[in-house]
Amino acid sequence: MMPADHQGPVGARPAAAGQELRLSTPLLALIVLYLGFSLIAPGFATVENLWTIADRCAIPLILAVGTTFIILQGSIDLSIEGVMAASSLTVALCVLNNRTGLDLGLFGLALATLAGAGLGLLTGLAIIFLRVPSFMVTLGVWSASTGIAMLLSGDQPPLIRDSVLRALGLGRSLAVPNLFLVAISIVLLGYLLQNYTRFGRYSMVIGGGEDLARLLGLPVDRCKVLAFAFAGLLSGLAGALESARIGLGHIDVGAGQMFATISAVVIGGTSLGGGRGGVLQSAVGILTLAVLADGLVFIGVSPYTQKAVQGALILSAALVATWPHRGRLRIVK
Amino acid sequence: MKRALYSPAVLTACAAVIVIVATPAAAADAICQKSDIRLVNSMREIAQPYHANLDKGGRLFAAWAGVKNYVLQLNQGDSDKQISLMRLLLTTSPSCTVFNVEPNADLVVKPMVDTANRSGSWIVTHWAHNEGLHPFDGNDHWVAHVAVDSLEAGVAISRLLVDAIGRTGGIVALQGRLDTDPARNRFAGLQRVLEQTPGVKLLDQQTANWDRTAAFPIMQTWLAKYRSQINGVWAANDDMALGALEALRAAGLAGKIPIVGVDGIPEAIAAIEKGEMISTVSSDAYYQGSIGLAMGVCILTGQTPLPATWSKENREFYLKLVVITRDNAAQYLREPQPETYIHDWQCDRLWSRSTGKAF
Repeated sequence: MMPADHQGPVGARPAAAGQELRLSTPLLALIVLYLGFSLIAPGFATVENLWTIADRCAIPLILAVGTTFIILQGSIDLSIEGVMAASSLTVALCVLNNRTGLDLGLFGLALATLAGAGLGLLTGLAIIFLRVPSFMVTLGVWSASTGIAMLLSGDQPPLIRDSVLRALGLGRSLAVPNLFLVAISIVLLGYLLQNYTRFGRYSMVIGGGEDLARLLGLPVDRCKVLAFAFAGLLSGLAGALESARIGLGHIDVGAGQMFATISAVVIGGTSLGGGRGGVLQSAVGILTLAVLADGLVFIGVSPYTQKAVQGALILSAALVATWPHRGRLRIVK
Repeated sequence: MKRALYSPAVLTACAAVIVIVATPAAAADAICQKSDIRLVNSMREIAQPYHANLDKGGRLFAAWAGVKNYVLQLNQGDSDKQISLMRLLLTTSPSCTVFNVEPNADLVVKPMVDTANRSGSWIVTHWAHNEGLHPFDGNDHWVAHVAVDSLEAGVAISRLLVDAIGRTGGIVALQGRLDTDPARNRFAGLQRVLEQTPGVKLLDQQTANWDRTAAFPIMQTWLAKYRSQINGVWAANDDMALGALEALRAAGLAGKIPIVGVDGIPEAIAAIEKGEMISTVSSDAYYQGSIGLAMGVCILTGQTPLPATWSKENREFYLKLVVITRDNAAQYLREPQPETYIHDWQCDRLWSRSTGKAF
């Protein structure tokens, strides 16, 4: 099923860059949420808090870009937290730290990111050549990479002493948190990949109907492997940056990120069935979750009820976001 | 369904009992040869310093006591796994096996104690267990429960925090997982101190699930919301305290706002030395990881009478906590030496750190 109303022919330039966003209900939901909190909680609508929200959503944004391509193709990636753990330990042990004698600086960051890409590549190859569903393979990779991280961690999580990396994780440039700047560049990269490369356009087609894409002679397998390698790369980057922020390599750096990322992607309007959505939509989903988490603390919701309130709001947001597509959904899984 | 698993264990246990009954003179001296004794530390994982130190404590003791057979069981946070790991091991020589257990949840204590009673193995548990369950209520193989008074820990760090801010001003509190006993009682300790200190206001409290990464953004949001109103940060464990510390560092406030935590992990102690945190409370993981094994070895070698004959206070007691501040931080940063613990492992001094009957 090719949603003909959604995009032009493969390889063509997008009709209008802002079109997908202009019409989106998720964006409206985000704006309403932000305005709502601004009205209820004094001090919420300040520039300072905007940067707090930006800092909060930096890591999830990076993860969401990779996950978007996976979900666009109709696959799923459950390995995020494991890959983050492995890259977290890798970066911490490669830069100046209290466990090994290494001091590779930013090269260590690159190594950890590449380690993530390697894990993603393996995942993609396993899916294509062993023909195991992505759900199972990525679950396995999650477990395996957590295991690797645990081995690397030993009995004492390595502390990061590299001041450049710590400054990248904690500092700001012209008032903007550094990690948010990184995240925005990644979102931009994802947007360009999605709209201006064959990989991006093919991903959309594969999710819309994989058998059709194969009949058309598209390099489906290559696109799938690429998507997993790219997602792995970004999970690796995210794990390394989170470590730079908290100052140590730890197996739990990604705790909770997988569900948050997938729900944000769905809230943004990317269909779990594949073929519909995009990077910018996912970014809106991530922003929604970040505004929600920040706002709930701001209005002082007690921690005992916060989980329930958050769950209810996420459900409503998903409902609002996917409501216009209800008519077009053939199957709900 | 799992009953079938017990049968070999039960048989072995019966056999052991028969042997003991048949040779009463030997039983009074020693239940097991030292070479037959197996020491087990059962805990969640070892990626956290606390758990790694439990393991180190256990190994330190085993080496000191000359017991070669030391087993580490990790359940990765899976309660069923913690129980099944225990049962699997007991297919061989249960009566010479001692379990020193950090329960993954309060609920696993009963099935593990039942397993010990049925198989004839020995178990010492730590932290908390379900109400109404006691070693002295006919659980002859549940050697002892070494409890930690989380309320006392909460009170201790809260006092230091309110004193550090001059008993006036605003604080924020990071809670642990709300469904756990230490989280509830440490926070209750804070509330008790706040009742006695009307000048200090609890601006807000949130849970960060014991997690450093989760504590970071919450602290950031608080800084945006309260700005200069925050005079102190209370955290229910050191990991969250350190997450909050990094958020303060990002805002250029590290070392300017006092932070307290609980657990006494090495990084927290280092932060205390640097003046970025003011205090933490430790139950001494090295001790917790070894004392249960020491009790077991004392019983099995006949140096201590069977636990059924012990007093109630000796079978369920609170552990003395160590408050770490800048004054004594240096001594806790060093690797533990057996000499520090040897006197606590002596069979006539097994209760040297008890502060009295628990619960």
